[in-house]
Amino acid sequence: MTSYITRRILLAIPVLIGLLVVTFFLVRLIPGDPCTAILGEKATPAACRSFDQRYGLDDPIPVQLVIYVKQIFQGNLGDSLQSSRPVTQIMVERLPLTIELTVTALFLAVLIGIPLGLLSARRHNSAADVATMTFANIGVSMPVFWLGLLLQYLFALILKDTFFALPPSGRLSAGVLPVPFYEVWGWAVNTHTMWGGFLEFIGEFAIFNAFITGDWHLLWDAVTHLILPGIALATIPLAIIARITRSSLLEVLGKDYIRTARAKGALERRVVAKHAFRNAMLPVVTIVGLQLGLLLGGAVLTETVFNLSGVGKSLYEAITARDYAVIQGFVVVIASGYVIVNLLVDISYGFLDPRIRYE
Amino acid sequence: MKTTRWVALLALFGLIVAACGSSTTDTTETTAATTTTVAPATTTTAPAEPSADFQGESLDAGSCDYGGKIESITALDEFTVEFDLCSSDPAFLQKAAFTPFGIQPEEHLQETGGAPLDNPIGTGPFMLEQWDRGNQIVFKANPDYYGQVPAFDTLVYRWATEGAQRLLELQSGNVDQITNPSPEDFQTIQDDPNLQFIPIANPNVFYMGFTNTFAPFDDVNVRQAIAKGIDRQRIVDNFYPDGSVVASHFTPCAIPNGCTGDDWYDFDPEAARQQLADAGFPDGFSTKIFYRDVFRTYLPDPGAVAVEIQTQLKDNLNIDAEVVVMESGDFIDQSTSGNLDGIHLLGWGADYPHITNFLDFHFNENQTQFGNNFPEIYDALKQGAKIGNPDDAVDVYTTANNAIKDLVPMIPIAHGAAASAALASVEGANYPPFGAPQFEFTNPGKDTFVYMQNNEPISLYCADETDGESLSPCQQVVEPLYTYAIDSGDVVPRLATSCDPNEDLTVWTCHLRTGVTFHDGSTFDANDVVASWSVGLDASNPLHVGNTGGFDYFAYLWDGLMNAEG
Repeated sequence: MTSYITRRILLAIPVLIGLLVVTFFLVRLIPGDPCTAILGEKATPAACRSFDQRYGLDDPIPVQLVIYVKQIFQGNLGDSLQSSRPVTQIMVERLPLTIELTVTALFLAVLIGIPLGLLSARRHNSAADVATMTFANIGVSMPVFWLGLLLQYLFALILKDTFFALPPSGRLSAGVLPVPFYEVWGWAVNTHTMWGGFLEFIGEFAIFNAFITGDWHLLWDAVTHLILPGIALATIPLAIIARITRSSLLEVLGKDYIRTARAKGALERRVVAKHAFRNAMLPVVTIVGLQLGLLLGGAVLTETVFNLSGVGKSLYEAITARDYAVIQGFVVVIASGYVIVNLLVDISYGFLDPRIRYE
Repeated sequence: MKTTRWVALLALFGLIVAACGSSTTDTTETTAATTTTVAPATTTTAPAEPSADFQGESLDAGSCDYGGKIESITALDEFTVEFDLCSSDPAFLQKAAFTPFGIQPEEHLQETGGAPLDNPIGTGPFMLEQWDRGNQIVFKANPDYYGQVPAFDTLVYRWATEGAQRLLELQSGNVDQITNPSPEDFQTIQDDPNLQFIPIANPNVFYMGFTNTFAPFDDVNVRQAIAKGIDRQRIVDNFYPDGSVVASHFTPCAIPNGCTGDDWYDFDPEAARQQLADAGFPDGFSTKIFYRDVFRTYLPDPGAVAVEIQTQLKDNLNIDAEVVVMESGDFIDQSTSGNLDGIHLLGWGADYPHITNFLDFHFNENQTQFGNNFPEIYDALKQGAKIGNPDDAVDVYTTANNAIKDLVPMIPIAHGAAASAALASVEGANYPPFGAPQFEFTNPGKDTFVYMQNNEPISLYCADETDGESLSPCQQVVEPLYTYAIDSGDVVPRLATSCDPNEDLTVWTCHLRTGVTFHDGSTFDANDVVASWSVGLDASNPLHVGNTGGFDYFAYLWDGLMNAEG
């Protein structure tokens, strides 16, 4: 297993380097120049020359590429052209929200999708099966932005001033300011160190931070702000997971060893739970892993509709502003996340199915 | 064994993340190293001046050879600053009132290495408490403010890019005021008893431009024929929100002398066709309509307006026009350089309330956008630029406006309307024609007031920012010498009690307000004015750092930076 993991990590390196180079050239193919996009349409030619010079944009493209690759290998993703802030700092601020949103959505999708798929398979061709699959088909075909707007309208306006009212956008309510756990606990953390940077990153997880510091007001506020975007983002993977669970379980339930188990007089509940469910989970786990990767990179619409400043929305804004450094940095990190998730999924096969051996 | 592998993987991920955090801080440290920089090299002690121990500083370009507007800025005494200009500037006060020229303590600029990007210190009615990146900015009221002390304790800035989203937040009661609701929502706001509609009288103009170095637009008769053949009222009625008006002149009437002279041509398709035939085009001709698909208050629906103009040109003048949409930056470059061989659809929003911001920018001797320039226009503008009192300049601007009408370098179409909206319960909700809302005059009837704008600020050091989303929160904290009136394009004293020009408008002497303290407790004096301007205006100043380092409004409004390379 160790050699397999090592091999997979080594194989991921050329993938990431290729991605780096392709992204570098792709962002420069976007029409328009960063100066006009960032300094505005009234920027003078002299100001643009100075801007290009400051960020090395007047260098030949190959020179820019060499400098960029060199920076990457030094662990430096560069500075944002728009705000002059290090891309890594922006990532530290924005990635936790996207992870929280993605995990929430996946949690909802798995928690609801798998039982729905099980129910549908157990009661094949029943009214419950039809209803579940109809729901799944609607979920798959419903655009996230449209569902998001409906949810906002329902919970922020129609249910306004009721117990069920939910905030339509944003991460926290106005005036609610999170205090990192290390400050609450009085730790003297130097965020200029690797350990301090890591703590700063952890502290940006609003829900986790509120939980471990016992700030229940902040926790409730953070959770309520994630409910609607979580539902909107979860709908499609939920539907997909339900459908895959159903079809996979139906297939397994038709296998000989299931018939054997039934013939031996095992209870149907035990047949499904003990013999069928675990084997049916292999394709489901694959899909969950893929969905996690897709959600990490594909939360752009949800974050935009719900005005959440996560990685997706920041990436979209960076593209609009032709902020090359941010685009490149974020794409590399998202792609790395995708590779890591896929690696974890592959490894998980070994735990689910003893027949699979990598060593 | 299996557990160990999982732990190893998690640790690997943690290390990757930690590595990101560490490289972040490395760069920060590098920046921080520059904070040891001392006073700007160009700052020198001013010659002999009054009282006590005050050492007045100055910024001196040495000459006007660098091409800019400002020759020197000198602290004459603790509360007097003199601006020596290279040429007359009747709009000095209107420009100086702009937020990028806000004053910060000299010591703070030095301590931050000329880049107080997220910790501005000013004298304004609100003090920055915390910028929770990505979420909100929280300000506290300044209890020691020398002007109107805010009626509430906490001001919160939030942002959302979509107009519909901002309106939803307002309707749901999560915010108290929003900026720029979508024009299609104006009626909804006006019909909602829980909301109040706040028109914004920010002057702007949308126009059809020609570059007269390309045929057939080199013929003034062709340009005049098109001017008469476009039904501008129809465009405004169909594609602009309520409150928008057909442009009688290039400059909106809210700007002094903007509407002097004759109104623009009436719609007269018969006369237009005849004039086009007389010019040698009885059957029309083929051309292109260039535009960019970007929303602006002066052009809320670019694509639809482009097609409407295409239709009118065909119906009224038999001109076949191909509609060409261009990438925004490329469109600006090409149109302002005079490279587009057809009609371009562009507009202008005022930076400061003076006619020079409209006419001089577009029709000066060196502009290239409209092709060959017209001395009939720019000679009058040169005269106007030497006249301080608008009443004395009526004749020259009448001449300029009439020349624009006769020569038709472009066709002014409309002045677009914009708006803000607030909860009906908010008293004193405002959105001035220039600058950001002045929240010190607002009373929400509670401790916290929440304002939602289009986007997150890029930084809070507005000497080096140009976007309204950055300038608005800056204005709550940092104040210039003058500011814009809450309900008009007038300017009113703020950190200065007055700025008096000499006879030919080349020297402006500003008398500063006394007894004012910054939010950090330091005392405001003339050296803070010199330092704040020097950092932006002098490219060789060690503190000329900012965000992008462009200090664009210093370069743009004062015609260039001192000691700039290239």
